[in-house]
Amino acid sequence: MIDFIPPFLAYIAGALLIPFLPKGHGRSAALCIVPVVGAALMWPLPMGSYGQIGVMGLELTLLRIDKLSIIFGVIFSLAAFLAMLYAWHIRDTIQQSAALLYSGSAIGAVFCGDLISLFFFWEGTAIASVFLIWARGTTGAYFTGMRYLVVQVASGVILIAGAGLFYTETGSITFDRMQLGSLATWLIFLAFGIKCAFPLLHNWLQDAYPAATVTGTVVLSAFTTKLAVYALARSFPGTELLIYIGAIMTLFPIFYAVIENDLRRVLAYSLNNQLGFMVVGVGIGTELALNGTAAHAFAHILYKALLFMSVGAVLFRTGTAKGSELGGLYKTMPLTMIFCLVGAASISAFPLFSGFVSKALILSAAGKAEYHIVWAILLFASAGVFHHSGIKIPYFAFFAHDSGLRPKEAPWNMLLAMGLTAFVCIAIGCYPHPLYALLPYEVKYDPYTATHVINQLQLLMFSALAFTVLMRAGLYPPELKSVNLDTDWLYRRAGPAVFARVAQAVSGGWGGTTDFVRRCCDVMVAILYRAHGPDGRIARVRPTGAMVIWIAILLLAVMLVSFM
Amino acid sequence: MAGGTEAVAHQALEMTDHLPVLQVLIPFIAAPLAVFLGVRSLAWPIACAGAIASLVCSVVLMLATLDGSFISYHLGGWAPPYGIEYRVDAANAFVLLLISATAVVVMPFTKASVDAEIPKKDHTLFYACFMLCITGLLGVVVTGDAFNVFVFLEISSLSAYVLVSQGSHRDRRALTVAYDYLLMGTIGATFFVIGIGFLYMATGTLNMADIADRIAGQGDNRTIQAAFAFILVGMGLKVAIYPLHLWLPGAYNYAPSAVTVLLAATATKAAIYVVLRFTFSVFQPEFTFDTNVLYWIIIPFALLAMFAASLIAVFQTNFKRMLAYSSIAQIGYMLLGIGFFNLSGLTATMVHLFNHSITKAALFMAVGALVLRSGSTFYDRIRGMGKSMPLTSAVVVIGGLSLIGIPGTAGFVSKWMLVQAAFELGWWWMALLIVASSLLAVIYVWRVLEVLYLGDTAEGAQHKEAPMMMAGPMWVAALACIWFGFDTSLTLEASRVAANGLLSGNAGMAPVPTTAAGGGH
Amino acid sequence: MADHKTDPAKLPWLGRKLLFLDRPKNITLVVYAIYALCALLLLMEFVYTKHPYFGLEKIFGFYGWYGFVMCALLVICARAMRVVLIRSESYYAPGDVESEPYPEDGLDRSTIDD
Repeated sequence: MIDFIPPFLAYIAGALLIPFLPKGHGRSAALCIVPVVGAALMWPLPMGSYGQIGVMGLELTLLRIDKLSIIFGVIFSLAAFLAMLYAWHIRDTIQQSAALLYSGSAIGAVFCGDLISLFFFWEGTAIASVFLIWARGTTGAYFTGMRYLVVQVASGVILIAGAGLFYTETGSITFDRMQLGSLATWLIFLAFGIKCAFPLLHNWLQDAYPAATVTGTVVLSAFTTKLAVYALARSFPGTELLIYIGAIMTLFPIFYAVIENDLRRVLAYSLNNQLGFMVVGVGIGTELALNGTAAHAFAHILYKALLFMSVGAVLFRTGTAKGSELGGLYKTMPLTMIFCLVGAASISAFPLFSGFVSKALILSAAGKAEYHIVWAILLFASAGVFHHSGIKIPYFAFFAHDSGLRPKEAPWNMLLAMGLTAFVCIAIGCYPHPLYALLPYEVKYDPYTATHVINQLQLLMFSALAFTVLMRAGLYPPELKSVNLDTDWLYRRAGPAVFARVAQAVSGGWGGTTDFVRRCCDVMVAILYRAHGPDGRIARVRPTGAMVIWIAILLLAVMLVSFM
Repeated sequence: MAGGTEAVAHQALEMTDHLPVLQVLIPFIAAPLAVFLGVRSLAWPIACAGAIASLVCSVVLMLATLDGSFISYHLGGWAPPYGIEYRVDAANAFVLLLISATAVVVMPFTKASVDAEIPKKDHTLFYACFMLCITGLLGVVVTGDAFNVFVFLEISSLSAYVLVSQGSHRDRRALTVAYDYLLMGTIGATFFVIGIGFLYMATGTLNMADIADRIAGQGDNRTIQAAFAFILVGMGLKVAIYPLHLWLPGAYNYAPSAVTVLLAATATKAAIYVVLRFTFSVFQPEFTFDTNVLYWIIIPFALLAMFAASLIAVFQTNFKRMLAYSSIAQIGYMLLGIGFFNLSGLTATMVHLFNHSITKAALFMAVGALVLRSGSTFYDRIRGMGKSMPLTSAVVVIGGLSLIGIPGTAGFVSKWMLVQAAFELGWWWMALLIVASSLLAVIYVWRVLEVLYLGDTAEGAQHKEAPMMMAGPMWVAALACIWFGFDTSLTLEASRVAANGLLSGNAGMAPVPTTAAGGGH
Repeated sequence: MADHKTDPAKLPWLGRKLLFLDRPKNITLVVYAIYALCALLLLMEFVYTKHPYFGLEKIFGFYGWYGFVMCALLVICARAMRVVLIRSESYYAPGDVESEPYPEDGLDRSTIDD
């Protein structure tokens, strides 16, 4: 009867079964198989909607297969597989189940066709993923996880509020293209925006990702934000506001990335910057731009995972991912270094690497749509991303001054995962046609023209030149043991301080008021019971006394309202 | 008479037609029976049999009234308005079902918890009081006579005071609390009876339908307005509307576990039903004072309850007390539904009545099991019990999720209805407030879960799962929370029919045109 | 750099091959290579036809100088920002991971000397 199974069920079943498998290679292999099964469930289905179920008069759609959902489904499955391989050595049941539930929720969200199911999966990604942060097991990780959870759950709550309003306004809960305008759509937009790390809503990302475990960050980097990009591409393509939001997103994180010390946080900033490109693509909304967004999300998930993997391997071997404490690792971890360079070249969009064939779509869409300033900003951001992700990450981790650390090469499973990812990055860069075939619209674009290649190389090499010159001149900001203030300061420092002040004032005022009310109550109760005779003992039972006052007040109020 | 009524009166002629009175009579007889037989081991089986029989009655009544009709039963064959009339429509059949079903589900739990918490010699009397309390609650709901409501209210309240005081075997403070409860409860009942006195003064009748007919068009009569004020405030105390809630936390906290479950799941719900009945069936929704009070008193105090009580719950360090405050907050939601004064709002109230009842039953039973094993309900004493009592703790998780209103649990259904009702009025800010107060529930539920699962194991507790007699009913309630989160056909339909009946003003209560038969022929 | 000498025999094969990067002289060579490459890329301006979207792109070597100037500005601005934004690592402690070491049970610190 049932001729299809939603792919997310494979992940949920996997997460439920995993704890019963003995810890070891068998379980790790099972973890890697789950994404394969998920992809196999999804791939053969023809386009269309499946699995409509009615709940409380609402029609939910569990599975909607179209070109946009397929490409995200494919890349999410691939990312889940690579991350599981990278985490082969992990023996922690909670992390394993959480990673499966998290990827499963993201895939469920990509394929669902209504806002209510989307909300379920949306919160699913939030709740499952926080365990990847808590798994680190330190106080800092606990608090960071809490902050992360609050932001993510809030996004879900805003989403369901928006969905509810949307339903009352339109009578529909379809998760599809909508027009920004009513409160409902603004709320949904805001919910997506939080998960997508829009400027000023972004800081949960840089706060949380470096706090997760070595393997957890790799998983985290793939899903949450790209799910938000998918949701935006699904619901708000062609919303001009997104172009400007995206442009700002590409811009400001690169400044932070230059001065940030924790290399995983540098990557989190650059992740934010890359999201900006995708958001601009959604905002432009032409076929070329949406293709660019999908392609860039695809390429981005891979090279970002690769970068997080290589920095994670360094952390795994040395116990730190801080630029100020690393350096000179190329001697003992040359393979990790090479994979890191492949990731760096991909994110920087060097010709023959994956970023080159995907980012170009968005830039030329911006050019064709005549957004001059946005185009210039994106170009700047492309140069900037090369500067901090392409040069800074490998330079400070593997070269720079010799830190004296002599760690062993990364373990085999990490090398294999990185190797595969690097291979795919190069394969996409050299032969983009299979990727282009997956895109939502037909692609009439050839990235390998002489103009494009030369211009891109000029941009990148002169950026490298700038880095070299500044480095040699001693002008480049050195890596310092430090943290930098970002918007999280508002809720981690300013908020609590203001709250403490206000709470002090309020509790003072409240105490005074309650004292006053209590004294009034006492007086009135005393009067009441004096009337009842000498036995005033009951008056001292405060709850009863207060209650009498309240009942009198309420009676008075009701009468007043009635008699009016 | 009452030309506009389209309701169909069932002619009471056969055995099944005596159901409205049997509903009350069975537990009422079970109580003295248990005492007079004097066999301690028989007390529980008798109580059990009584509860099951009355559940059967209420199921039949529910089925008979689901089509929107009502059953009028004349006690002793005396026709209303002079005789006492029992009148069952969808609204009270629904509440009857809720009360008797809860009574049946908690029975096994009661056995286990009473054996642990009450000395053997008091068992017979305990079960007698227990049955009397149920009798009272059922009577309040089933009767169509205003004074009769007061009588049954007192039966349930007096037995409840006794039941609460039984907690003194564990903690002497139960006595003071029961005393407070008695004082406050009596004040509430007095206000209520004063209100009925005013009504009698104005109309010369006590039959609710008759009152409704006679006060129609007298919306500006001060006596009637005063009567409404007294009745609302008096019942408000029994409902535990926010500032009138002071009896509730103490009573719930110190009462024996089984009593807390019964009171939390049914007592306030019966009181809410009375408020509904009087607001919509006796007094007319067309009366401007009626709607004024809904908008200016009920809604603000409902909001106050939702936030203030939730905030108090957040800061509690005692699981049972926390749940008590959460009950007060949840009552706020039900009142809010009443205040919305539209079909969806009333439906939300009725559904929440039911859903909150099963949720709280599950949670308080879990508390009872925790008390049995750890000896206390304070967070520092139940720390880490999630590992040693996985079944019980899982119930806390399910109940907690339902309390928050996570989709897939019963709590979600009612909150969703409530939010929809707010939207229908165009009050989207109200919907936001509802969601915001749910966030507070997330916090207080999370605190408990954190204590149960993440805390280091407390010392001095017995690390053993709850006995089956407790775990079984608990899981029935917990599974009901999930079941009614998905299958909403029963709850939503019954609530909608009930709400419709209530909103159609006195139509549901108008005297029957045909001669209705009664008992005693 | 001289203070961290390691026996090359213990290094992995690839690491040994890359050891030439340890010598400052070779680094200078790499830098010169970059200069040369940049010059070459500027010369390439003459050998292809541009398909510009904007007038700006027609300027000679636009992509080159744009990349250079913007990156230099980026670094200088970031340095300036740092003056204002920098705080000690324990600024947010204890609710922050920055101030605490990564827990050892999640690591495998083997070194080549093991």
